[in-house]
Amino acid sequence: MAKNDLQGALDLLILKTLSQLESMHGYGIVMHIRRVSDDLLIVEEGSLYPALHRMEQNGWVRASWAVTEYGRKAKWYALTRAGREQLASREKNWAQVVKGVDAILRFA
Amino acid sequence: MAFFRRILSLVRRERVDREIDAELREHMAMCVDDNMARGMSREEAARDARVRFGSPTAMRERVTAADATLGLAIFWNDVRGGFRVFRRSPGFAIVALVSLTLGIGANTAIFTLLNAIMLRPLPVEKPSELLLFGNGSSAGATLSVPSGDTRLFSYAFFHDFRKQDTSFSGVAAVDSSRISTKASIAGAAYQTTHVNLVSGSYFTVLGVPAVLGRTIEESDDSVPNAGAVAVASYPWFQRHFSGDPSALGKVIRIESHDYTLVGVAKPGFNGYTVGQSTDLFIPLSMQRAFDRPGGDSIGNKLFQSLDLIGRLKPGVTTAQASAETNLLFKQIVRGYMGPQPTQKHLDDLARASVQFRPGDRGISPMSFSFSLPLEILMGIVALVLLIACANIANMLMARGVARTRELAVRMALGATRRRIVCQLLTESAVLAFLGAAAGVALAWRASILLLNMATPGPEPVPLNLTPDLRVLGFTLGVTLLTSLLFGALPAFRAAGLEFTPALKDGRGSSSAATRGTLARSLIVGQVALSVLLLVVAGLFVRSLIHLYDVDTGFDKHNVLVFTLDSSTANLPKGADEIRSVRLQEQIESSVQTIPGVKSDSFAFFSFNDGGWNDQVLFQGVPRTPANGEDVNFNITGNGFFSAMGIPLVAGRTFTAEDQQNSNKVAVINETMARRFFPNSSPIGHRFGIGETPDHPGEKEVIGVVKDAKFFTLDEGSLMVAYFPCTQNTGFFSNFVVRYAPGANRQEIVSRVRDSIAQINPNILVNTVSSLEEKVDQSIATQSLIAQLSSFFGILAALLACLGIYGLLSYSVARRTSEIGIRVALGAQSNALLWMILRECIFLLVLGLAVGIPIALSSTRVIKSMLYELSPLDPTAIVIATAAVAIMTIAAAWLPARRATRIDPWKALRTE
Repeated sequence: MAKNDLQGALDLLILKTLSQLESMHGYGIVMHIRRVSDDLLIVEEGSLYPALHRMEQNGWVRASWAVTEYGRKAKWYALTRAGREQLASREKNWAQVVKGVDAILRFA
Repeated sequence: MAFFRRILSLVRRERVDREIDAELREHMAMCVDDNMARGMSREEAARDARVRFGSPTAMRERVTAADATLGLAIFWNDVRGGFRVFRRSPGFAIVALVSLTLGIGANTAIFTLLNAIMLRPLPVEKPSELLLFGNGSSAGATLSVPSGDTRLFSYAFFHDFRKQDTSFSGVAAVDSSRISTKASIAGAAYQTTHVNLVSGSYFTVLGVPAVLGRTIEESDDSVPNAGAVAVASYPWFQRHFSGDPSALGKVIRIESHDYTLVGVAKPGFNGYTVGQSTDLFIPLSMQRAFDRPGGDSIGNKLFQSLDLIGRLKPGVTTAQASAETNLLFKQIVRGYMGPQPTQKHLDDLARASVQFRPGDRGISPMSFSFSLPLEILMGIVALVLLIACANIANMLMARGVARTRELAVRMALGATRRRIVCQLLTESAVLAFLGAAAGVALAWRASILLLNMATPGPEPVPLNLTPDLRVLGFTLGVTLLTSLLFGALPAFRAAGLEFTPALKDGRGSSSAATRGTLARSLIVGQVALSVLLLVVAGLFVRSLIHLYDVDTGFDKHNVLVFTLDSSTANLPKGADEIRSVRLQEQIESSVQTIPGVKSDSFAFFSFNDGGWNDQVLFQGVPRTPANGEDVNFNITGNGFFSAMGIPLVAGRTFTAEDQQNSNKVAVINETMARRFFPNSSPIGHRFGIGETPDHPGEKEVIGVVKDAKFFTLDEGSLMVAYFPCTQNTGFFSNFVVRYAPGANRQEIVSRVRDSIAQINPNILVNTVSSLEEKVDQSIATQSLIAQLSSFFGILAALLACLGIYGLLSYSVARRTSEIGIRVALGAQSNALLWMILRECIFLLVLGLAVGIPIALSSTRVIKSMLYELSPLDPTAIVIATAAVAIMTIAAAWLPARRATRIDPWKALRTE
């Protein structure tokens, strides 16, 4: 059994987004997930920022202040090595969770 | 790394907060930008962003809460908040801190003593493997055939037992009495020295190495008189040689024998007996060199004087060892009883057994007399702490109501209930830990003081009272528990309140009623507990008064007791050696000539000096249960009865006629006379010592004296027989001197010293005390317990009064306007006074109704500690009740007076 809860999904989404975009600010992460998932997944700010903060404290992401393309100052996040390792293990976990949930759904 | 980041962000807390704010602000701005890009107006865009984003402040609370630093940062913040709160109301802080310091300090102090006397394991190797043969409660020597629980063992048994293959990997023996003697190092002046006679296996079995030189080895203990070596304890070595290794090889002279110092035991190890310091360890092979009453310590196979300690082989259980040892014990001892032992001796041996005890904590003679008092005191101080907790809880709740508004605002801003409870609990913990820190400092001093008060005497009892991990752990546990006890209730109440009405009026009126009930129950509890504690204190005090009033049978006033040491005088020893007695007589008659001295006498024992006892058999008197009890023997000079002030009832006391070779005589006390001769005079009758005396009818009764206390003030009627020194030779160390009332005590002491020094300069005066002091010392423990329980009982009642005072002051303040209206409408001040006092009396009566039954049902526990006093003593209960009643009403008086002085105009304007 994959040791995972479905709540870990938010972390996975954020980590994956950052690995795809190299570095991004909070607003951009929300937008990216929303756009890529065709508006299926909308991450709430109230969950995103606490999660980003936890990840920063855990050393999975590092943050720096920079100016956005529209001239706003924002805090940009990027994956660290530990973050990449975290992403890899969570991806594997997620695949197993999906397989497991799938099996349950197919059970007749 | 993550951990350091957390610490770092803890330090940069404010910057992090600013950063979160900035980040969220920018997020909002981007959102607005996007919305405007999609064609909304600026206002519309901003409103939409706010709706989606929610309150930025609440958001920040959430981000902070999820922040991984949450534990540390928030905790730190709350701790600082705690200090701030106490700065804001120093009155509350001081009262709370003082009661916590006293409460936690008292608990720690008593536990420190409990730990040192009963719990702390010895600094030996793997203490849990050690087993003690018997329970270590006997000290001295016995020659009787073992019967029942065997506690002391002979040197012969120790050797024979060790020869067998047993459950023990090793067995050590140590003499059960610590020998106090005088030693001279390399010819220097003689000094008091405590010697412990130990087997050659002692240090190996206990696993105590030498820090210098070597320990005592098997070869030192193999042949009698072979091991003239000594191993020093570390403190003695430091005292005399300050750590100089050249001390090894020095010659120490003790009682006319020379010992070579061969080593120093490791620091921290001062012998197997807790609460007694050992200066020198000397092999048991040398025991004949020490003057031991009772017989040949090595040759007599039934001279039982040793405590045995065994180290279990790995994997062997205590039960196995016990079964095996008991079997061997009977076989071996049977071999000591000769070819044809009497049936009685065989029966005795059949009944004999060896009980084992864990040997990890050593032998603690103090634990026998102090464990119950310490446990009682532990209970008392725990209750005091509980009362203090109730008080602080009440004060915190009153403050909680005052802080309703602050907390309600925080909750409205998104702080969770858990957050608030944590904050309030942290504040309580800050208070508790401040109290604990002061308490530990207090306890360290207090436990030393208590020990000295409980064991008065010339030498301090060497107990290690430095707080160890166990004590600190105990204090930590007590502190946490305390902070929960007084903090939890107020915290949950504060966090559970309905905050919307609280926000509206800022007074928390909705919870005032329930708070009142809770506060009142706490006060009822405090009153109940203080009654209990005062009843206990009253019982101890009354018992002590009974002890002071007890008829000792001797006249304790104007008597000095000198203890003399003859170990350096090289007096001739041996059975029937009369020269020591002549020396005593010389001292007696010389001191007799000192002006102011009325009478004087040497004696084996004066009072509370231990004893020597056995059964006796009168010729022609049948054995009864009453006269079959042991008789206590004393050996005295001719002037003993007049020096002690013990009146003669019949016959005569000893005179110069009673010489070594004349008729053997004895003076007996009234109890002994009554038990053997209920209806006739014992004078002229003869008895012998022993259940079946070796010398039947040896002693003739020549006189009967009044009963006098022998061991303690609370002993029952004991049979006592006195023998003259001339017919029981030896040098007896107690010298009793009665002087005329009004004589200068100091002068008499110095003149007695001079007389002794003139007659024999090698007889040293060890201690001088008055008989009154000896009597007081014998009840030092009882007196200490009476003092401590009174102190804590009064403290408890004071705390309860403080609680009542606080509650009523609060209630008067709240009802100011109501009282103002009453006054305006013409209420008399007496009626007002009564109105307020009524509440106090109600609480008092409830408290008494709870407390007195608790007291009645629980004082049984201390029954054994009370002298001629019922644990239900009505006087103690009445006094305690009256004291609590007077104190609580006095506490209520001040707020009640205040109520009567309320100015109606002012009162009505304040609302």
